[in-house]
Amino acid sequence: MISSTIGIWNYWIVFCLMMIGLFLVIGRKNFLKKIVGLAIFQTSVFLLYITFGKIKGGTPPILNESIDTIYSNPLPHVLILTAIVVGVATTALGLSLVLRINSEYGSIEEDDVSAQDLVDYHDDIETGKNFDLKFKK
Amino acid sequence: MISELLINAFLVTIMLSIAIALIKTRTVIFTVILTSAYSLVAALMFITLDAVDVAFTEASVGAGISTILFLAAMAYLPQTEEESISSEFIPVLSCIILGGILIWCSFDLPEIGQLTAPIHQHVAPEYIKGSKEDIGIPNIVTSVLASYRGYDTFGETIVVFTAGVAVLALLEKKNTTKKNKSQPKQKIRKNA
Repeated sequence: MISSTIGIWNYWIVFCLMMIGLFLVIGRKNFLKKIVGLAIFQTSVFLLYITFGKIKGGTPPILNESIDTIYSNPLPHVLILTAIVVGVATTALGLSLVLRINSEYGSIEEDDVSAQDLVDYHDDIETGKNFDLKFKK
Repeated sequence: MISELLINAFLVTIMLSIAIALIKTRTVIFTVILTSAYSLVAALMFITLDAVDVAFTEASVGAGISTILFLAAMAYLPQTEEESISSEFIPVLSCIILGGILIWCSFDLPEIGQLTAPIHQHVAPEYIKGSKEDIGIPNIVTSVLASYRGYDTFGETIVVFTAGVAVLALLEKKNTTKKNKSQPKQKIRKNA
């Protein structure tokens, strides 16, 4: 009973971690927090893959002399190595987007940014300048 | 064997507590530190799950470079997070429903470490048997990454290069709008 619970305990917690990451992305209005949520989500997916690759009593997949060694599955490890580096690239891109938004709007809260956009839009309708331009195109 | 799984369960529970602390905190510096700690505990977990290559990549790239990037970006950003005015009910509900479905599905997954699990049956034994003769180095992960799947790794470098170019293009200083909410400058943005 205890061993079977521990056998799938990792999966449960990893799913909870994924949902916490997803909540940070869709529920929080701060752009920096959204990127942190993305990183949390990614790391928990990595954990899920590596958990699949584990074999009981196995060793890391580095060949040694003895014949009866059980090696853990190396293929998830390769996938995740690629994914970690790509994950850092997405983090860097997201952070530079946040910096750009901050220099344009002076805020990184989603509510502030969309409110400023709404004000701009109504100003355009009142003055009619950009509104005409939009329809000419 | 059971002790190995117990260590695993303990570490993953620490990760859960760090993630819950991340939801609670509203200060940016704490957020960055907690993210770094999360990556570091994940690296520890990778070691206990026999993925040593992934562990040192996560420790250096995930906990190192990511944290440096976050700290560098943090210097130009507001230091606290505002309380949201809109309701968080729908995001919480959808996350709980999706998590419930995933946990329900987890009863069909094989237990951790079963040799009979489908993932260990198809191509993995071939790589473990053949990589010594084909490539000639003992580390199977390296030989798969750099030789069998060399094109994948090449594509990965292209992705990183594209991301670098995009970051440079975004951070290029075009306008002198620095924390300025005045109307004319926003018009410039619209017309540009």
